[in-house]
Amino acid sequence: VSLEFLSPESGAADAVARTPMERQARASGALFEVRDGWNLAVSYGSSDDEANACRQTAGWVDVSHLRKLELQGTGVSQHAGLELATATRRDDAWWCPMTPDRALVIGGQPAAVREHAPEGTSVVDVSTAFAAMTLVGPQSREVFARFCAADLRPKVTPVAGLQPVSIARQPGLIVREAEDRYLFLFGWAVGQYMWTAVQDAATHLGGRPAGLDALHPLEEPLEEMSSRA
Amino acid sequence: VTRLPEQPAERIDRNKLIRFTFDGKSVQAYEGDTIGSALYAAGQRTFSRSFKYHRRRGLMCCAGQCPNCIVAVDGAPGARACTEQVRDGMKVEHVNAWPSLEHDVMSATDAAGGTFTPPGFYYKTFIRPRRLWPVYEKVLRHAAGLGKLRHNQPEREWKTEYRRRHADVLVVGGGAAGLSAARAAAQRGADVVLVDEGPEPGGRLLAEGQQARVDQLLSEARDAGVEIIARGSALGFFDGLVPVWQGDTLHQLRARRHVIATGTIEQPLVFAGNDLPGVMLSDGARRLAALYAVKPGTRAVVATTSDRGLEAAIALHEAGVQVAAVADLRSTPGAPATTLTRLGIEVLPAYTVVQARGKKQVSEAVLVPVQSSGAGARTFVCDLVVVSGGAIPASSLLLQAGATTRYDETHGHFAITETPEHVVGAGEVVGHEQLDVAIHSGELAGLEAAHALGLGDSQSTAAADELRRQLELAADHRAPVAVPPAAIGAEHGKCFACLCEDVTSKDIGISIDEGYDSIELAKRYTTVTMGPCQGRMCQLPAVRVMAQQTGQSLADVGTTTARPPWVSVPMGILGGPTYEPAKRSSIHGRHRELGGNVKWAGDWRRAYDYGDPEGEALSVNRAAGLIDVSTLGKLLVQGPDAGEFLDLLYPNRFSNLAPGRIRYGVISSDAGRIVDDGTICRLDDESFYVTTTSSGAGAVEEWFSWWLADWGMRVALTDVTQGLSAVNLAGPRARQIMAKVTDLDCSNEAFKYLDGKHALIAGVPCLLLRIGFVGEVGYEIHFSAAFGEHVWDALLDAGAEFGIRPFGLEPQRILRLQKLHILVGQDTDSESTPFGAAMPWIVKLDKEQDFIGKWALEHYEQEPPATSLVGFTMTDGYVPTEGAVVTDGAGTPAGQVTSSRYSPVLDRVIGMAWVPAALAKDGAQITISDEGRTTQGFVQTKPFYDPDGEVLRS
Repeated sequence: VSLEFLSPESGAADAVARTPMERQARASGALFEVRDGWNLAVSYGSSDDEANACRQTAGWVDVSHLRKLELQGTGVSQHAGLELATATRRDDAWWCPMTPDRALVIGGQPAAVREHAPEGTSVVDVSTAFAAMTLVGPQSREVFARFCAADLRPKVTPVAGLQPVSIARQPGLIVREAEDRYLFLFGWAVGQYMWTAVQDAATHLGGRPAGLDALHPLEEPLEEMSSRA
Repeated sequence: VTRLPEQPAERIDRNKLIRFTFDGKSVQAYEGDTIGSALYAAGQRTFSRSFKYHRRRGLMCCAGQCPNCIVAVDGAPGARACTEQVRDGMKVEHVNAWPSLEHDVMSATDAAGGTFTPPGFYYKTFIRPRRLWPVYEKVLRHAAGLGKLRHNQPEREWKTEYRRRHADVLVVGGGAAGLSAARAAAQRGADVVLVDEGPEPGGRLLAEGQQARVDQLLSEARDAGVEIIARGSALGFFDGLVPVWQGDTLHQLRARRHVIATGTIEQPLVFAGNDLPGVMLSDGARRLAALYAVKPGTRAVVATTSDRGLEAAIALHEAGVQVAAVADLRSTPGAPATTLTRLGIEVLPAYTVVQARGKKQVSEAVLVPVQSSGAGARTFVCDLVVVSGGAIPASSLLLQAGATTRYDETHGHFAITETPEHVVGAGEVVGHEQLDVAIHSGELAGLEAAHALGLGDSQSTAAADELRRQLELAADHRAPVAVPPAAIGAEHGKCFACLCEDVTSKDIGISIDEGYDSIELAKRYTTVTMGPCQGRMCQLPAVRVMAQQTGQSLADVGTTTARPPWVSVPMGILGGPTYEPAKRSSIHGRHRELGGNVKWAGDWRRAYDYGDPEGEALSVNRAAGLIDVSTLGKLLVQGPDAGEFLDLLYPNRFSNLAPGRIRYGVISSDAGRIVDDGTICRLDDESFYVTTTSSGAGAVEEWFSWWLADWGMRVALTDVTQGLSAVNLAGPRARQIMAKVTDLDCSNEAFKYLDGKHALIAGVPCLLLRIGFVGEVGYEIHFSAAFGEHVWDALLDAGAEFGIRPFGLEPQRILRLQKLHILVGQDTDSESTPFGAAMPWIVKLDKEQDFIGKWALEHYEQEPPATSLVGFTMTDGYVPTEGAVVTDGAGTPAGQVTSSRYSPVLDRVIGMAWVPAALAKDGAQITISDEGRTTQGFVQTKPFYDPDGEVLRS
């Protein structure tokens, strides 16, 4: 029996993949586009305003569509050239060592991941096991402080730092993607709850939801990291 | 009337007028005023009524320490008027007085109630007849208290914002020492947070008019990057976590090093009438004059045990208050006495105050020489009695952190002796009193904190050495302090040791007489130190009274345990945000739209039904139904040893399961008890798809992981519970519906019962499991959660012509009960074994491998259980409560009903129950005792619906 059922890819044009926060995003005024089979909140009316919010206060973006692959095998993290507690940017994906024998790859293309995965590694598509958000902006650390006890100060969590941690009382994972930019993962089923928690904290601090397109002007640090890798 | 000319350090803006009301009367204030300073300036002297005796109480500490000025602000009780700043339009009301603050009926207890209200009176009186206790309780609660909470709070009005903040160094206290510590640590590169209770840092420096010094320290600290949290109260010390309450925010501060610079707390003197409005601590009187330009009185008498009172007398004189006399308990008053004498103010050495007289406020004070027996008493007309009974270190946080204390005879208080490694005291709290000394103390603490973090250099090390040397020198030059009598003047009236709880020195004596002769026992019996001041004003006086009356030394009496919270705090602040983590399936929105009755099911929100549970169940039996079962636990077990791994975990076999086939499994504990169940589908030679119960998903994943780590097998375990949606399509028309959404041949020949297959449903890749929890031909369809609504909608659309209905958890429970399918946790408990639960067939004791619980199950096989799980039907249509007792012939409890429902398709009441093994046979009659009703049922061991499973397999 095939393992295809784990994957968020369909063969039908009308079978559009949806994130668990779609309804909350819609209620906040999101405009959607289908991209790569996903119905994505690309903006909330003005990508420029959203990008500004991401530069000046904080913006949160639903990025649950990012591919997530779990790699398992003895010493897989080391064999993949990963260092514990640090995410490595490779092929537009974050390679995150969770334990010596387990790693999570966020983003990128499955083929590239499988190519880089050490031989004999089990690779399972867990894209919809985890929802994800990107929190961007100078206030993003303060937003996290409202619902997460992780120490995200630069000296403890530098850029590319990785923290498996409780987020709003739920198991989660935080990757510091850039100076003021964090990618965080949490269970797919708590998406609605997590949106509420983030919205509650961020709005209070002047933040707002932002569409995927608002992230485009802010991609430079990630692109740099990818190119370095 | 009592406003002074502009004061150098005043905090009010005389150009900005504010109006608020106090008990309905309009009061004018300046911006920057506190409620207390504004009311005092307006002539108000009584601010509250005391807890028990309803005595008048007025401003005393002006620092938020004592309970005397507690009021309700905009309906919220517990505010301290002396520190709460005025806002335009705010509504301030008194608490604990009726009908008014001025005329309080309950003040009769002061005159007449003393005999009836000794300490612990509520243990002795008001207890008979017992049936009247609720009435007594209501009366007593009404008579005492600190205000009333509103019955209804608008939603989220008390919402607290939690803010977690990590830091290298946390400094608590923003006086000279605290600011110096923060500055020193930050200048060496530490990430420093400073917390101060006041509206702005500065501590005593502000009241002493040293604004320039404060500005300089503050500016340097800020320039060094110190984050300053003003108006923040550190509530306690919890293994390095310090919660700080600031308005509607609770900061949770975690630092690697802590500097506690909380200063000292000036102590009152215990004498007759020491609670009268007009009796004020010296710091309080100074603060009122210096910060708010309010004249605390026109004619004052000062009683002190140290230079603190003498300096206050000078300051008051300079503010225009006539100082009638100063009683210094010391036989040789300190240096400031010379200044007082020069100013023409009489200083009485070895004198103290024995009584404050007055009706509504102080009108006279009586001073006596301490060594005489009343001779030489002097009476002074005055409206202000300024007292200073020394100062105690504000050491609660240090003590909570693990610091130790000893009684310091010289200064008459308990002083810090040692602190834990990561915590250090600075400034007055550790005895560094003089300004320059306090600053050095703070600087040293900051440097040491930085050095401990690996910061600093040889220069800072040398600086620290020099500071240590200077502090050692300063230790020899501390100003002398006299130890006041425990209480004096009891023959003239009540001498309060504890203002919060109205505990007098006499009350403590009574408690000792009754056997509560340790400070901890007396605390619990009299409630001394248990009020809003949390012992700040009363702990040392209580210890002194106890020492005096028991003949022990103060060191032997000791102190009570320092416990959080250090300041009184609204419960809502501790409650935090109302985050309620809820898991929702990706189809959840649809359930809402379809009218689902959504309730909690474990940590999930689930549709229990869609308004018609019995109709929904009937629809499954007669046509088709669709239920969201995404909450099931789902584990992917892969690897060369996957089959062997499952064989070790389950009592039955899985290594011999053919790919594409499904088998039911029960997980048992080491003790052979049922802990979970589910189905396992073998996907290929090395891959198994394991489902668990919804509530057991997390525990099973942990259980598997734990054993996997122990056994070290070549197995990869992945929890995909939240990653996959799952729906169960069931009913006689299910196959026809499937034909409309998939190309897969779903005929019984091609897709048999307990087969697992891959197929596209409405274009989405799915795993199809042909299983039948609800007793009909059924397809459990698992697929990526990204397509939850798409697949759900497609199935409902396809099934519309066949009469499909969505069904919820409640109809599912009816349907599974018809099949006698157990619900783990509902029909089983921690003692249930597969043998007792009528599933001996699932235990394969002949398995080659060992497995979890094998030893125990071998034992249970030899000794049949005393009770068995069976089905039963009711003859009278009564639906027994789940949990109802099954009794034996003698009426003795012998089992219990675990599930019971009315089955619409069977048109009778059915259930499951644990019954004595002897009754576990078809037709046996059982007696059920349920909430006073006794009724009969009849045992059935085979499923009520489709007993031979023909429907399932068709």
